[in-house]
Amino acid sequence: MSVRPNLLSTTRLALRVLIALNIPFAIGVAGLFVVSLEAPIWLGKALVARADAAPSLMTGMRLVMLIGLAGVPLAYLFLTRLLAMVDSVRDGDPFIAENARRLQMIAWTMLGIQGLNLAEGAVCALFPLDLDWSPSVDGWLAVLLLFVLARVFDIGIRMRADLDGTV
Amino acid sequence: MAVLVKLDDMLHARRMTLSELAERVDITLANLSILKTGKARAIRFSTLDAICTVLACQPGDLLAHDPAARQEEEE
Repeated sequence: MSVRPNLLSTTRLALRVLIALNIPFAIGVAGLFVVSLEAPIWLGKALVARADAAPSLMTGMRLVMLIGLAGVPLAYLFLTRLLAMVDSVRDGDPFIAENARRLQMIAWTMLGIQGLNLAEGAVCALFPLDLDWSPSVDGWLAVLLLFVLARVFDIGIRMRADLDGTV
Repeated sequence: MAVLVKLDDMLHARRMTLSELAERVDITLANLSILKTGKARAIRFSTLDAICTVLACQPGDLLAHDPAARQEEEE
């Protein structure tokens, strides 16, 4: 099996960068949330150039921040599991039971992220936020695809285990 | 496992070594050794066909079922 080392190493690097960026993102959003509670007028001026930002607008922004924070552990799970899978490809044996479980975990985190995306849409609908949110089926299709692939992976691994020891 | 492989007996009866058989059936010595020692979990019909052809025997001459063997394993 030929594995393209450049693609693998680029993917690993990208995943590591994203995992690292997840932490400052979380700190930034958490900081913003605290500022929105402690200094809402200053934040209203800084973000929407209006000191008298409507309280409902600020509430909506806080909810979006909380949704962003909820996405941090999901993104961490998603990225670390994907990195572990890429590492197993690099090590030469990706068809292991652990990877089937990782793929299923990725599917669940993707489902969670889609749920958060819906929550963001609900906040956009209920509060006067201009976040350019629109519904999309792409993410939901990706969730279905991931669950199906996880199952396919699991069956493939069992079939291989059956073949082990066949003469 | 209750399925016993009697390859050793057949080789002895045909005065053939495992290496010779491996060469003639085109199966690695390591795989034949797994089969001979009863460590194989399954055997392909193509493997059985090749061994039976070379040893001029029936599958039943190579395999046997002995439930007592399983009981011994469990004990």
